[in-house]
Amino acid sequence: MSSDYARYAVRRVLQAAVVVLLAYVFTFVVISVLPGDPVSNTLRNPENGFTEDEITRIIAYYGLDQPVYVQLWESLTRFLSGDLGVSLRSNLPVSQMLGDVLPSTLRLAGTALVVAVVLAFALAFAVQYLPPRLGQVLRSFPSLFLSVPNFIVGLLLLQVFSFQLGLFRVIDSETPLATFVAAVALGIPVSAQIAEVLIANLDHESRQEYAAVARSRGLGRVRLFWKHLLKPSSLPVVTVIALTVGELLGGSLITEAIFGRAGVGSLVQRSVSTQDLPVLQAVVALAAVVFVVVNLLADLLYPLLDPRVRLDGGRRTGSTTPTTDPVRPQREVVAP
Amino acid sequence: MAPHDRLTTTLPRPRVAAPPRTLLEVEDLSVAYGGHEVVSGVGFSLARGESLALIGESGSGKSTIARALLRLLPAGVGRAAGRVSFDGREVLGLPERQFRPLRGREIGFVPQDPSSSLNAVRTIGRQAEEAAALLDEPDARARTRAVLDTFAQVGLDDPQRVYDSYPHQLSGGMLQRVLVGLAVLPRPALLVADEPTSALDVTIQKRILDLLTELRGTLDISLLLITHDLAVAAERADSLLVLKDGRVQEQGRTASVFAAPASSYTRRLRADVPALNPDRYADLRAVGGGRLAAATGGPKIEVDAVSKTFGDVRAVDDVSFGVEAGTTHALVGESGSGKTTAIRLLLGLDQPDEGRILVAGDELQGRSGASLRAVRRHLQLVYQNPFTSLDPTWRVERLVREPLDRFKVGDKAERRERVREALRSVGLAEHLVRRRPAALSGGQRQRVAIARALVLRPDVIVLDEPTSALDVTVQADIVEVLLRLQAELGLTYVFVSHDLALVRQLAHTVSVMQRGRVVEQGPVAEIFDAPREAYTRSLLDSLPTGLEGPLAT
Repeated sequence: MSSDYARYAVRRVLQAAVVVLLAYVFTFVVISVLPGDPVSNTLRNPENGFTEDEITRIIAYYGLDQPVYVQLWESLTRFLSGDLGVSLRSNLPVSQMLGDVLPSTLRLAGTALVVAVVLAFALAFAVQYLPPRLGQVLRSFPSLFLSVPNFIVGLLLLQVFSFQLGLFRVIDSETPLATFVAAVALGIPVSAQIAEVLIANLDHESRQEYAAVARSRGLGRVRLFWKHLLKPSSLPVVTVIALTVGELLGGSLITEAIFGRAGVGSLVQRSVSTQDLPVLQAVVALAAVVFVVVNLLADLLYPLLDPRVRLDGGRRTGSTTPTTDPVRPQREVVAP
Repeated sequence: MAPHDRLTTTLPRPRVAAPPRTLLEVEDLSVAYGGHEVVSGVGFSLARGESLALIGESGSGKSTIARALLRLLPAGVGRAAGRVSFDGREVLGLPERQFRPLRGREIGFVPQDPSSSLNAVRTIGRQAEEAAALLDEPDARARTRAVLDTFAQVGLDDPQRVYDSYPHQLSGGMLQRVLVGLAVLPRPALLVADEPTSALDVTIQKRILDLLTELRGTLDISLLLITHDLAVAAERADSLLVLKDGRVQEQGRTASVFAAPASSYTRRLRADVPALNPDRYADLRAVGGGRLAAATGGPKIEVDAVSKTFGDVRAVDDVSFGVEAGTTHALVGESGSGKTTAIRLLLGLDQPDEGRILVAGDELQGRSGASLRAVRRHLQLVYQNPFTSLDPTWRVERLVREPLDRFKVGDKAERRERVREALRSVGLAEHLVRRRPAALSGGQRQRVAIARALVLRPDVIVLDEPTSALDVTVQADIVEVLLRLQAELGLTYVFVSHDLALVRQLAHTVSVMQRGRVVEQGPVAEIFDAPREAYTRSLLDSLPTGLEGPLAT
């Protein structure tokens, strides 16, 4: 296993690196074929008051006088050495701008993920073990969670917790409670996806022969759930969680706007409206890195969790769910 | 192979000297799934230390009765009514909380399919500890020791390895031993075994049944054995109960029911067991036998010193056999003996490393795609499991017509006519052509699979365990269809099976395979009457034969 696992891991890491590079190149190309030249427009705007000397220096710094493929190469090597460039608007290094807003977004997204996972598992457990009639009602919750847009949930929560109950102030949006409330708004639709897969898998697993045989050994329903059903049902959830990270990043954009948080979302919003290309390029690269790394972790974790997965010459084979009827995430996840 | 002579340990529970007392009493038991009654008015009783077999085909309700006794019917769907008393106590109406302590501790359960009956993502040991927890033994190490002792007792060679393994790391026979072990570990008074061997090879089947019989003696356990095989039941049970469509057809002591069945249904079941009726199709089989005797010139199929290696495994090792036109040649052996690889080579699905294969004098190797297709047209396959080999979204008409479409045979009207003809020849009614596989029974599906193989009018049909997924009665129908088609059309069959009784009914010549090699070969009557190899003898001895002696005559 171990040498096979090492081969598998190396293979996955290389694949992940290729994906990040391709994402970077793709964004660069898309931005460079966009109509209009925001750089010289901005620089030559008299209001900004750049001197001709400065304009030449900046254009040379970005290599904008070079052909596109040279620019791409320059940009890529800078990216790989950690230099994300300088904002067109604020003249601050992009890495510094990102560093200012990233902790807030990570706090929000991380809390939202925890909220989503806890909510999903609680819901799945309740569906299985509450009386059938109540369980039936709970089964409709995932669709409900998904069909209510998270800005509505966000506005409702804001109305209740901030304006009615006065538990936190909208102005001071970084308190733990404010973060938690925002995370609930962001986490609810994500929890729906996890819960849906989990509920379907639990249904499927509890109908399996081994579940009946385990009960014939005197196990009660609760012990059956914890000892037998939970693990095989949760294994596919690892993949689902990794996929929902994209959703968390995209959703944080809206959530941050509603709760007035200064996060990556608000930075993106500003940069789009002002065509601040270096910032946008950096944010897309960052999103790609986060998404790829999280999915890489899920892929690396899976063979360690599921004893049936065989790694033949670094490839993952064998079923990832115990039966012929695997339940996979049912929705496409849109990365920001 | 695990030795099966390890059952000599004496076990703590002493034999009760008291006169047999009724352990399980079932009266007027009915079970319904969502309003549809599948078991009606069944009653029987089982004394301590005795064994009772419930016999019936799929859908007869026998497994449902087992589930109802253990109260493991699907929640919310299955509903049982009637009276079940266990050890003098009415248990059917008991609240779940009071019934649960009986499961495992008093009533053990051995399931049908070992491969799906253990949790795939937990080790055997952790699941075994659940059974050990029923022992009332406070010391965890003593419980683990009890698990390992039980594994040794059921004939598992390396208990610690089994304990540490995941289910997918063990063979079906080993898993079934584990499951028997887990069921007997808490020393229950009653063991319910639901087709405990139907997913296993004959020799392993015999060992598991021997094991159950042995444990019943040493541990004084009553056995409720559920099976579709009358011969197995008669060999292993004190009394029999024959079920059809959820109703009791007949019940009584084994000797009387088996020797002189009162109901026509039991008589039919008895007639359908291949091991009890080796000469049932003698007339139809004689047609091919005549062809074998009259054979001149080269055989239809010639497999000459063929070998095939996968990785380190020599799956097929220097195998040769020939099949005369219009006769049946059987390849027999246990799982892993190389029979499946041999027919894959014959069908051209894999290429042999050495040796050559000739069909009607033409060599199979080194052909171009087009000419290989031409050979394949005359070489058709019927796969073992009709539940997975037919596309569930297609209708019968299209399933049977597909080979004609592939080979562009005739026009639309002609294809339709040939589909009709193929379906008629396998005895499928006209109105079934619009059905999808899900709306057909197992026997009907296998007939569709045979019609599909027949529609191109091939010379050779390879039959890969064509009846192993079917009940004995359905199996008998399929065997009859196959033999009739051979007599009428002069088809040549290569028949792969692990069931020697079936081989004796159907085949003219046989090759016995073990670990990729042919160990014995010749006319069926010769091999069966005077087997030279110990391996062949052990296969023959594994056949359940009811009350009479072994099959060898």
